[in-house]
Amino acid sequence: MGDDHVCTYDKNPLIPQVCKIIFIEQETPDVKTFRFQTLDGKKPFAPLPGQLGMLSLLGTGEAMFSITSQGEDYIEISIKRCGLLTEALHEAEVGQLVGLRGPYGNHFPLKEAEGLDLLFVGGGIALAPLRPFINYVKANREKFKHVDILYGSRSPEDLVFKRELFEAWPTMPDTNMHVTVDKGAAGYEGNVGFVPTYMEELAFSPEGKMVVLCGPPIMIKFCLQALFRMGFSKEQVITTLEMRMKCGIGKCGRCNIGSKYVCVDGPVFSMAEIDELPDEK
Amino acid sequence: MSQVNEMQAQLRKVAAELLENDTVGYIIGWGATRFPDRTTPVFIHEAKDADKLMWNEYCVNGLAKYVLDDKIKAKKIGICIRGCDSRAINRLIIDNQIKRENVYLIGLPCEGKADKIKCGKCAHKNPVIHDVLIGDLVAETPVTDRFKAVEDQEKLTSDEKHAYWKGVYDKCIRCFACRNVCPVCSCKECFADQYRVGWQGKQNNSTENWNYGLTRSYHVGDRCVECGECERVCPMDLPLMLQNRKMLKDINELFGDYECGLSEEDRAPILGDYDLSDRDEFM
Amino acid sequence: MLLDKKRLKEALAILSRDAKVLVPMEVDGVAKFTPWDGQKLPSLDMINTTLPPKDALFPQTEKMYNFTTGPNAQIAEVQGTEKQVLFGVRSCDARSIDCMDKAFLTGTFGDSFYSKKRENLTIIAVGCVKTGPFCFCDSMGLDPSSAPNADVQLADLGDAYAVTAQTERGTAVLDQWKSLLTEGEGDAPKPKCVLQVSVPEDFPKKLMGMFEHPIWDEVSKPCLGCGTCTYVCPTCYCFDINAEKHGHEGTEFRCWDSCMFSDYARMAGGHNPRPSKKERVRNRYLHKLAYFHEQHGQLLCVGCGRCVQKCPSNMDITRFIDMAGEAMNNG
Repeated sequence: MGDDHVCTYDKNPLIPQVCKIIFIEQETPDVKTFRFQTLDGKKPFAPLPGQLGMLSLLGTGEAMFSITSQGEDYIEISIKRCGLLTEALHEAEVGQLVGLRGPYGNHFPLKEAEGLDLLFVGGGIALAPLRPFINYVKANREKFKHVDILYGSRSPEDLVFKRELFEAWPTMPDTNMHVTVDKGAAGYEGNVGFVPTYMEELAFSPEGKMVVLCGPPIMIKFCLQALFRMGFSKEQVITTLEMRMKCGIGKCGRCNIGSKYVCVDGPVFSMAEIDELPDEK
Repeated sequence: MSQVNEMQAQLRKVAAELLENDTVGYIIGWGATRFPDRTTPVFIHEAKDADKLMWNEYCVNGLAKYVLDDKIKAKKIGICIRGCDSRAINRLIIDNQIKRENVYLIGLPCEGKADKIKCGKCAHKNPVIHDVLIGDLVAETPVTDRFKAVEDQEKLTSDEKHAYWKGVYDKCIRCFACRNVCPVCSCKECFADQYRVGWQGKQNNSTENWNYGLTRSYHVGDRCVECGECERVCPMDLPLMLQNRKMLKDINELFGDYECGLSEEDRAPILGDYDLSDRDEFM
Repeated sequence: MLLDKKRLKEALAILSRDAKVLVPMEVDGVAKFTPWDGQKLPSLDMINTTLPPKDALFPQTEKMYNFTTGPNAQIAEVQGTEKQVLFGVRSCDARSIDCMDKAFLTGTFGDSFYSKKRENLTIIAVGCVKTGPFCFCDSMGLDPSSAPNADVQLADLGDAYAVTAQTERGTAVLDQWKSLLTEGEGDAPKPKCVLQVSVPEDFPKKLMGMFEHPIWDEVSKPCLGCGTCTYVCPTCYCFDINAEKHGHEGTEFRCWDSCMFSDYARMAGGHNPRPSKKERVRNRYLHKLAYFHEQHGQLLCVGCGRCVQKCPSNMDITRFIDMAGEAMNNG
C-alpha cells in the first residue's frame, strides 16, 4: 500500500523482547485476547492499524499475529486456538512471560481513506485486524465520512469483541452496525445469514466508498463477487493476506507471493494489487 | 546392433504400443539429459514420444517412487523396472501403497549400471515381477559379500564405531535426499518433519543428524530392497547402505534368510509380524 | 604485482595472524571451504567445492539468542564475530556473495547477523584456468576469470599469481603481503564455459508471464522434493527459525531451510499455498530467475553448476532455461 513502512524497533529485528501477559479475555470458546506489556511497564512497540507482531513462547514456538489493539502502555493480540503454539498460548496465565518482536509489515491506508465512506467487512477472528482501523476511525471520526461495519461469525457465541460490537461502535456518529451469524441461538435476536448474502441485502452503494474486507478465504471470495455485482471496483477493496512467516523481515523466504513478501510488502493489499500477483495463496 | 541398443529399440516399440492401445496412461522411464553420461526420469504420455525412452548403462535412477506421485489414477501407470525397481514395487504393493492392477510393469533385465557402488552387490538383476519383459533374462551372480562391510564394522569397539558414525553424521547436511529417493519411504508425514522443540531438532549437528539418520534406517528396517539409491544420491557420499545392511543382517540372523520384495505375496513384513517362535531373550 | 606460488603458504600465514582463513580443501571426502590448517596447500585446482562458501556468512545453523523461561525469563542476543578471509573463491561464488548482500542487507530491514559477518569478511578470488562440465557462469553474465566484487583478485599465471587489489580492504591485504610480492604482470588464461545456455532478452519478465504455463508440470515431475539443490546452491538463503531447549534454558537459532520441502510454506491450520512439487519447483526457479531479478535487478543463479551436478534426479536448471526460452519464442 501507499504509506511508507514504519519500524519503531531500533534493535536487532530478529531478537524479541521479554514481555508480560497482563490481561486475558476469553472472547469466544476458542478465541482469547491477550494484553502484553514490557517488564518495565511500557508498550512493547507502537504499531499502526494492520501491522503485525511476532509472538513467541520461548522454546515452544513463534508465530505472527495481527495487533488488534493498543493502549498507552500495552498492545493486544487476539488468538484463535488452531495449532501447537496457539494451544499452548491458550493455556497461558496472567503474569506469564513471552517474547515479542515487531511491528512488521505495512498498514491500512489511513491517509487514502480520509474523506471517504468506509465499509468494514469482517468474518470470525478476522475482525482482529479490522479492529484497530475501526478504533482509529473512532478516534479521528471527523476525518472520515459515513461508516458501515458488517461483521459475522458462525454463531452468537463466536462473535468476538462484543463490547465494541454492541456498545462502543454503535455509538460512533454516522455509523451503521450490521451483525450477522451463520446460525442463530436462543436469546439471539439479530440477523441470521452469511456475510456475503447479508451484504447484498444491505445493498451498499460503491459511490465514494472504501471497503476493508477481512475473513476466511471462502467468505472473501463470495463477498468479492457480491461487491463486484454491486458495482465496486477492485481498487476500492482492501484486504489482508496471510502466509506462513518465520522472520518477519523479508529474508527467510516462505511468505512470498511472486516477488512480494507478505511480511514486509503486506499484509495489507488492495484487490487490484492482489490481482497482479501470481495465484499462489 | 549391441544388445543394449536392441533392448532400447524394443522398449520404445513396446512403449509406443502400450500408449497407442491405451493399456497405460503414461510410462515412467529414463530419458536423455544434456550430458551423455546421465539420464533423468521421464514421463511419456504419447506414443510419438516413446523414442525419448533410453536404455543404457546410465539408466541409474530408481523409478518406483514415482508411482506414488499419482493419487488419482485414470489409467494404469506404465513403469520401466529393473530387479531393484521390481522389488520396490512388490514392497509398495505389500504395504498397500499401490495396487498391482494400477501398474503395468515393463521389465528390463539389467547387467548393472555405471554406478558400481549402487550395483555392486546386486543379487537380482532380473525383474522379479513384470507384465512384459524386454530382452532376455541375464544370469544372476551370487553375492558373497552382502554383509562383508557390516562384519568388518562389527569387529570395531564401541568407541571406534561411535567415532566412525559421528564422523559420518558430522558431514550430513540433512537435505533428506536419502529419504525422498527411497522407494519404500512412503509415510505421508515423516517423523523428521515434526519440528517441535525436543523432537527431531532442525539444527544441523551430528546429534540431530544422527537421530534422523538412525531413526530413518530403523524405520526402513525390513523394507529395504537394497537398491542403493540413498547412498547414490547422498551429496556428502555417506555410507548409508552400510547402516541399512546392518539392519538386514540382524533381521537375517533373528528371523532367517530374508530379502525384501521378492514377490508380491511376500511373507508378512518381518518387523510387523509377531510369531510365537520369535526370539525374545531381551524380555 | 606477482605472488610466487612457492610463497602461498607464507601469504596464508600472514592472513591467518588476525583472521580465520577459509580455503577450498577436501575434508573427510567433502570439498568445502574450511579453516586453513597452516600446513597443507589449499586445493586451488579443484573446479568447485561440493559445498558453497555461504556457510561463512550464513551458517547452516546460527545461534541468535539464548533464553531462559519461567518467571525470570530472559533473552540475550548471541554476540561476537571474528574476522574471516575467504581465500580462493571462484567468480561464481564471489557473485553469490553479492546476491546474498542484496538479499540480507537491503530492504526495509537489514539482517544484523549477516551484516556483522559481512563487515568482517575479506574475499580473495582466484580466476579459473579451466571450467568444469557443469559450469555455465558466463551464460549468467559472469566472467570465470574475474570477480568484480572480490577484495583481491588472483590470476593464475602458472608459477605465480597476478595479484590485484579491487577494494580498500584488498589494498590492505596487498600491504600485508608487501614482502612477498614482486613487480610484474602477465596474461592469465581466459576460459569459456563448455555448457552454454541462451538466456533470451527480458527473460525474467517473460518468465513471470509464464506462471500458468504447462512447462512447470513437465519440469517438476522428476523432482523428489529433497533439499540438495538448495543446500549446495551458493545463493539459496531461505532459513527457518527454531529453538533447542533443555529444562528452563534454551537457544533460538536459525538454520538453512529449503523451499523444496513439503512443509516449508504450510500454515498452522494445514493450508499449503505450494502443495505439490509443481508449485515448489516453480517457486524456486522463479525466485532464481524472475522474482529476485525484479527485486534486485540481477539473477539469483550464478552458473556454478552445483545443483546440476548433485540433483538426485539429474534435473538441470540450464535445460529449464533453454526450454523456457523456446516456449517464449514459440509464443
